[in-house]
Amino acid sequence: MISTNRKKTLIMALYAGEIMLKNGAETYRVEDTIIRLCKSRNYQYVEPYVTPTGIFVSVDTKGESQDEIVTYIKRIKSRRINLNKVAEVNNFSRNFVESNMDLKEAMTMLKDIDKLKSFSKHIDAFLGGGVASGFFALLFGGDMPAFLGAFIIGSIISYILTYLNSMEFPPFLSNICGGAVAAGLAILISYVTPLINITLDVDKVITGSIMVMVPGVAITNAVRDSIAGDLVAGLARAVEAIIIATSIAVGVGFILTLWQIMLGGSLS
Amino acid sequence: MIEYITNFFYAYLSTIGFAVLFNAPVSTFIKSGFAGGLGWVIYVFSNGIFESVLVSAFIASLVIAIIGEFFAIVDKNPITVYIIPGIIPLVPGFGLYYTMLSLVERNFGMAANYGTEVLLISIAISGALVIVLSLNSYRRQIQKKRREMRNK
Repeated sequence: MISTNRKKTLIMALYAGEIMLKNGAETYRVEDTIIRLCKSRNYQYVEPYVTPTGIFVSVDTKGESQDEIVTYIKRIKSRRINLNKVAEVNNFSRNFVESNMDLKEAMTMLKDIDKLKSFSKHIDAFLGGGVASGFFALLFGGDMPAFLGAFIIGSIISYILTYLNSMEFPPFLSNICGGAVAAGLAILISYVTPLINITLDVDKVITGSIMVMVPGVAITNAVRDSIAGDLVAGLARAVEAIIIATSIAVGVGFILTLWQIMLGGSLS
Repeated sequence: MIEYITNFFYAYLSTIGFAVLFNAPVSTFIKSGFAGGLGWVIYVFSNGIFESVLVSAFIASLVIAIIGEFFAIVDKNPITVYIIPGIIPLVPGFGLYYTMLSLVERNFGMAANYGTEVLLISIAISGALVIVLSLNSYRRQIQKKRREMRNK
């Protein structure tokens, strides 16, 4: 007879791992958290196997006979980065390990963490997308007009991406849209600015404003996972990064080609 | 000198922009911005000395990881919260985008160039992060051993 407590511990630990993985924690951190949570309740045999698309965990009391082993598999479908939730689950796991919290209380705490609100979309767009894009345009050697252009376009792209994500568009499509809008708006603005005697560096504006979509962190995390020995997780993240980069390139490339063919423009 | 200060300022603010996008805890904004800004200044500075993107990215990520680890220990937050926004200015996202753009434009030579650079830079950055993280877990192991010795 398998005790219900063991199942509940497993479900709770896996839920904690799921929140972390869905919100951008590294593979090793998720595995580490699951092991800590289970071991703190005296389940000495814990084997988590975490990939970006699913979590598998087996738990037993001792490694001897293993005839009462419990296994739970969870499929992970969408991932984004929300570091606040990662930090909160980390705090929770520290408290859980150090105290005698019962499982029911732990589950309600985890559910509260899962429901934590992110910043409103306006803050996200202006302070997040706009500021990041604008200052990146400056970092890449742009001037003041490029900063303003990237700030405006970066904010608009943030709005579009939040909307498309909330409508559950696949990331591939929403990134094509983002790239196309970035290139299209940058070109459009570059035709307006000469009227007020300002020349706009289209290349810098596009570079700055697609910064919010570009998968730099994803490719670095992929290599990090591979170095740590989580080869499957590393490959999965690398493929994700390549798909995102391709979709942005398709979006931007399409508009740039159209511009060259129809209006004869080019990036100097 | 002025150049470094403006660079620090730009990288600081764009790091904070990304911290907002990544929904980092508000209390960590200033610290991760500091890691990102200092990392970028060191990147620019060592690029002038060694003239190698790889070496500079490696040194800068070492610094970012040490700063992140320091704040992580002081504030008891996971290091992820500081590192992910902090490495954003260094990370080869654009390289990957240019690789794919070159492929879409059927410019395979350029794609190979950009692609190799992306791979090497991301190995340099994550190598630096792994080194600092392992040193920290080594330190923890030693502390744990000492505590066990004392309890005996």
